[in-house]
This record gives sequence, structure tokens and C-alpha cells, in this order.
Amino acid sequence: MIVVAFNYGGYAGKILQVNLSTGKITKVPLTKEQVELYLGGRGYDAKILFDNMPPNVQPLSKNSILCLSTGPLTGLLGPTTGRVNVAARSPLTGIYGNSNAGTNWGPELKYAGYDGLVITGKAKNPSYIAIEDESVQILPAKNLWGEGVYETTLALQEQHNGFETRVAACGPAAERGLLYGSVIFDLWDAAGRSGMGTVMASKNLKAVAVTGSGSLEVAQPDRYYDVVCDGWSGILNEPGFKMGEHQALGTAVCVGWGNAQGWLPTRNFRESVFEFADDISGEEFRDKFSIKDSPVPGGRACMSCPNRCKRFGKIDSGPYAGTRGNIEFEGVAAFGSKCGVRNLEAVFHAFMLANDYGMDCVTTGNMIATFMELNEEGKLSAKLAAEIDDDGMELKFGNERAMVEMVHRIANQQGELGKLGALGAWRALTKLGGQKLAEKYTSAVKGMDTIACDPRASKGFGFTFAIASRGSDHLRTHPVFEMIKLPDGVAKEMFGSAEASTLKGYGGKVEMVLYHEELAAVTDSIGSCRFMHASYYTQYPIPELLNKYRKRPRPAKDIHSVKYHDWVSAATGMKISYEKLFEIGRRIVMLERAINTQYGVRRKDDRLPRRFVEEPLPSGPAKGQKFDKKQFESMLDKYYAKRGWDKKTGLIKKQMLDKLGMDDVKKILEKRKLLGK
Amino acid sequence: MGKLVFNSELCTGCRACELACSFKHERLFSPHLARIRVVRVDEEGIDVPTGCEQCEVAACIAVCPVRAIYVDPETDGVIIDYDRCIGCKECMTACPFGAVHYNRAKGIFYKCDLCGGDPECVKWCVTGGVQYITDLDTVLQLKRTKTAERALRSIAEGASAAGAAAKGGGV
Repeated sequence: MIVVAFNYGGYAGKILQVNLSTGKITKVPLTKEQVELYLGGRGYDAKILFDNMPPNVQPLSKNSILCLSTGPLTGLLGPTTGRVNVAARSPLTGIYGNSNAGTNWGPELKYAGYDGLVITGKAKNPSYIAIEDESVQILPAKNLWGEGVYETTLALQEQHNGFETRVAACGPAAERGLLYGSVIFDLWDAAGRSGMGTVMASKNLKAVAVTGSGSLEVAQPDRYYDVVCDGWSGILNEPGFKMGEHQALGTAVCVGWGNAQGWLPTRNFRESVFEFADDISGEEFRDKFSIKDSPVPGGRACMSCPNRCKRFGKIDSGPYAGTRGNIEFEGVAAFGSKCGVRNLEAVFHAFMLANDYGMDCVTTGNMIATFMELNEEGKLSAKLAAEIDDDGMELKFGNERAMVEMVHRIANQQGELGKLGALGAWRALTKLGGQKLAEKYTSAVKGMDTIACDPRASKGFGFTFAIASRGSDHLRTHPVFEMIKLPDGVAKEMFGSAEASTLKGYGGKVEMVLYHEELAAVTDSIGSCRFMHASYYTQYPIPELLNKYRKRPRPAKDIHSVKYHDWVSAATGMKISYEKLFEIGRRIVMLERAINTQYGVRRKDDRLPRRFVEEPLPSGPAKGQKFDKKQFESMLDKYYAKRGWDKKTGLIKKQMLDKLGMDDVKKILEKRKLLGK
Repeated sequence: MGKLVFNSELCTGCRACELACSFKHERLFSPHLARIRVVRVDEEGIDVPTGCEQCEVAACIAVCPVRAIYVDPETDGVIIDYDRCIGCKECMTACPFGAVHYNRAKGIFYKCDLCGGDPECVKWCVTGGVQYITDLDTVLQLKRTKTAERALRSIAEGASAAGAAAKGGGV
């Protein structure tokens, strides 16, 4: 008789645990209790780390744990459900690290029969894990060690099931100990931030190749089908989607958009408009590098996604011939505007190099831009500056050759600059000139540097950077709401102030961040993408509210929205209401905070880099703006009060954990004396 | 005359067709159980939808020793009769497109049946990478236009028009 240990729909039902030290492979059933509280993906990963990894375990020690997980909706036809979450303690920041990628790897893992993969220990020799349904093997990867992501992926596809093999790999930069290595799925899909690839490489694990032939069942098929149809209709009928810019150009559309709104970080955040933005725009990429035959030039999608935000391109001739791959906005801005480089070929090339070396393109771009600024301001010692100065490669903004060379040097840790560069901007500058230098020239919060959006010009994003659980980052929240001008009524009803849908204002921003942060935690955990809940705002109740404030509202039956609560309920069979969904989101945010408090994160760490608070923007639509310090402190007070965190220390209060049913977490924090008053 | 037309130039590789197909036929989500499959070639940035071409002179029909495969007169779809099928795998090996699949759990071979003339995969394709065309003249006309377009493009690129036209083209 088969004993059913787990009876929720949507899930594959078990977690695959691999101990690389002992070679032991275990398949553990998911527990009902854990998925009810944390759903899956990001939420479940945080729980695994909290329960099984004492705070004294170092990120790159053999006892650290690396999780790659999917959610209950991954691979079930719902729109944007090709996500996979990677979590571990970050070697870059020393706190909770996690990164998320859109790919085909996650769904494949579920078809193979596993909701997640938990890796512990360290292999004696370079290895990779091969998963084909029930068969899980740890195989030697000696010939792959040192190879780029591209070669590794192709070799493993050849060795296993061809194009149907999905590969997650880390690159040679991570192998050499660069602190911000990424895990790259299916050649170009990166779980880039916070150094998850470095953790993978530290375990002597080069790759995980997966093929699955199983099937997934949902709890209420008919209802599920209807909800999913509604979700797809929501996106396909969303005005922004229909406008077609994003469809046509992918996320690179943000180059033009950000520049026009005045938040495109330029020359290491000195400015927020780039005079050569047109040269590195999405249109330019499409015209120069996309495959010409297609009406959706180069557009490629993750599993079950109508949005196809990846853009594939190739360079056929010139100094960067042979470059190929998928681009997106962050990488273009990191090597483009942030480094002041206007040649899109060089930007594309540097981006793809970083990808092949398996290093986070955002951090790499920021690192190089920081070096450039230091050098321009005479803060690099003559010896260091001379390292790269020969042959016209002076480290100055706009010098593309120096930029490309620096990517190689950082990846290979060549020379002093290369060695410093591999530490990431915060650690590198602290080493160079102490914390003061790092505070002045880096955009780092909690050790991780800022993505391509200037907080001075967008207050909601700015606030997010300060409180995000993995360091300066927008994806914990992604309040694009403030970038789209919506009817005042919608902003007022949602967040209590019409200012919430303006870039400049502070009003309603804390409420907006709280809402988005909880929703983001949920969507990361169920396995869907940011594009539905932020960017397109197709989730309930926003399409409904928009309709309400339309001059001529459409009949209710024509309004489609993604009802995450219905969606999860129909797939899994759990009873989840709209309110309960947000409660789960709050719980996940709380758990990540709990993990971080164990690593010493306090109120002093929830801050903005000095530049954003002290130096007003010199030009552009947001000229003269900075993030007001007083406003920031009062926003933080308000945020802490709503979250139930101690105002002075930032520690979680007991009552909040009681309210969210997190008894086990409370007990541990209590024991470690980490509860707020 | 019904036919699915696969177009790798329009396909973005989202594979919604696969999951929609498996759900419609099996009430399960599984690319492995889908009658239509998309081959993602990441290094070239290309996605190739594949499935049954509903051949006029169908290899699967010709090799079936028990005549379990027939043409549905309504849709012209090539259909497997599960009651007759003996599972000899001849059709699977004979099909040049890899469109006959094997369901291990049920022990049967299966293939695209055009959903009786209302294919589910097409409803889920956002870009037109898979289209259902009932009028073959339309297919031909589209093909001719496409071929001409290719020739024009390649003249613009300086290559030989004849060479480009000879390569043919999808709809």
C-alpha cells in the first residue's frame, strides 16, 4: 500500500536532500504544516535555513546549506510560473542571501518529482548532480571545473538528454572565490545576486542537470483552469502590456524609461540621467543584435510566460564578435550608464562575459564603476591605477576597453585590482580606505550594492533598498506603482495617499512598501514572477480599482485580475483568503528578519548610502532631489511600528511572532536573546 | 482539412501549449504527456515547436500492423484507436517528427488528435508560433509570401535571392 504523506495539489511532494560530503541522497516528503505556513520557494527555503543552520556556520564552510526551490504553482501553466529560488547564507553580505531566476529549470525539477533541492556538505572533488526522475547521481566534473557556464551547460546537455536537459551551473569566477558568484540556469538565466553561485562552488559542485518526465496534479482542476485563464487574460488585456513596448524590447525598455523619468544611475550614481541612453537602449539592441527574421525580435520566454522579457542577440563581427546571449535591463545599466559606456557592443560583451564567468552582472558593473570614480577622484593609489593604465586602458568613466578588461581581471583575480574587485564594492573599499571610503563611494546597504534605480528620484524604491532583507535591492518589494501614474483614487484607496503613485512624494510610501513586500514574499514563494504583481498590476484588486476610477467603467465580467489567493487555493486545495495570503507574506518577511537578526542586523543597518541622503541629484527631471534624512527616519519608525519591530534596535517583538503563529521561531530567538522590547 | 502549423520564428519557448495540451487530455500538467513539444535551443536563442503534421501519406498509418491508426474524416487528423493498439512502437519509430509519444503509466501510444478540430494549444499561443489552419490554400499562400519576404530580405543583405528562397520558410 502506498502511504500518502502529503496530499496537497500542485506540489511534487518531496524535497531532495544531497549531502556532498557523504554522498548520501535522501528524498524527504514535504510536511503539510510547513507549506501551510510558508507555501514553498523563498518562504520554505528561509525556514529550512533557520531550522537547520546555526548562526555561527560560515557561508563558505562545508556545513552551510544551499537550497534551490520551486513553489506550488511552478510548472502548472499559470502565467509567469517558471521561477526558481536559491537561498543560502550570503558570502558577500554575511547575512541571509537569496536570489530568484526565471527559467525552465525549476519546472523541470518538479516534473522530475522534487519541489526543492537542499545541498549540504562539500564534495571531495569537483562534481555535479544529475537528476533524471527517480535517479539521482553525484558524478565527477573534473573536466568541467574551470570551464565557463556556456561550455559547462552545453557539455552536460550533450552528456545527458540533449536540449531537454536543464542545467544550473556556477562559473569559474565563483570557483576562484569571487564573493558574488551567480547560479546560472539554462545558459543565461541568472539567480545573480548575493553570491549564491559562490556557495555552490564552495561545495565543489559545478552544476545540477535535470530532466523530468513526471506530471503534476492540481486539487481542483476546473476551478484552477478558470483562475489561470483569468490570469492570462489579465496580462494580455493590461493596457501597459497591450501598448507593446515591453513585449517588443523586453526589460531593456527601462533604459529609455528610467532616463526619461530621471532615475537611471549614471557614472556610479553621480547622476541619474545618461546623455547617451539612446545608444544603449532596447531599440538599439533590437536593431543591432536581434535575430532579424522574427516579428518578436529575439523575444524569449520563461516557462508559461506571455511576457517574453528576455532578449536574445548575437554580435557577428568586430572586436566583440562571437558574443551571444539574453540581455535584460540590469546588466545593460550596470555596464552601460553606471560605467558611462555608450557602446552597446561593449556593454553586451561585458554582460555576457560576466554571465559566462558566473558573476553577478549588477555587482560587477557597480564594482567597475566604483573603481572608475575612485580613480577619477584620485583615490586609487598610483600603483593600483597603473596596473591597468597601460595601453589606453585608463580606468575612467566611458572607457569601454578598461571595463571589459576589468571583467576579466576580477573574474580571474588578476593583480591587486582584480583581487579587490572580487570582494564586491563594499568590502573592497573598506579594505582600501576603511568604512568611511566605502560609505562615500559605494551604493551598498548591508554589504550589497544598489541596482539600477536612483533612490533620490524614486522614494519608494529608495526606502525598499534600506529595508530589503538581502541588502540593497528592489525585488524584495518592487514598488513600480510609483513609476506609473495611476488615478489618484486608486493610490488613495490602496495606500492612503495620492502621492504613492508619484516618484517624488513620500506620502503613502511606507504603506506601499509594506503591501508590495508581503505580496513579493508570497509570489516568490508560490513561484510566480514580479511582472504580474508589480509592473503590470494585474493582481486583484488593482484592475478592479482601475476600472472603478475609469471615466466609463467596463462591465465587471470584462475585468480580469490575477487572484493569487484563489489560484493557490485551487492548485493546492488549501483554503487561502486574500487576507491570509498577506499574513503568509508577513510571516516570510518576519522569518527573514529573524534570520538576519541572528547575523547581527539591527536598525543601524537599515539605512541608505550616504550619497543618496547627502548629495542632491545634479541634473535631470529629479534635479536637486535627495532622500530627506528626517523623512527617512520617520518612515523607518512607521515601518517598524507596522511590522512590530523594536523602534530602537530593529529586533522583532514577541507579540508579532505570536500573532503570526511562529512559536518555534519565537522560542529560538528568545533563547538567543534576540527579541525586541 | 485541418493542420497545425508550427513556426519557430514566432515561438518564444514559453511552452504553454505543452501544458495546455497535457491538461486537456490528461488533466495533468506534464510536458512529457503533451502531444506538442517545444525544443528550446538556448545557445541559438531559438525555440522549435514540434508535433504531428497530419501527413497525407502517414508513416505511422503505413507501418501499423493492426490498422489502429486512421484518418478522421471530419478533421483529417490522424488518430490512434487505443482499443486496437498493441503497443508495438512501430509508429513511434517511423514518425519523422517524433510526434508519437508513449505513456508509460497507461501503457499506450498517443499523438495529436487536433482536439477534434478545436486545438487547445492554439488557444494558449500568444505569438502565433502554433496556428491551426483548416484551409490549405491559406497555408500555401502564406508560405509563398513568406518565401518572397525572405528573398527580399536577403537581397537587402546582399546575398543571393535564389539561395534564400531555396531554403524555404515557415508560415
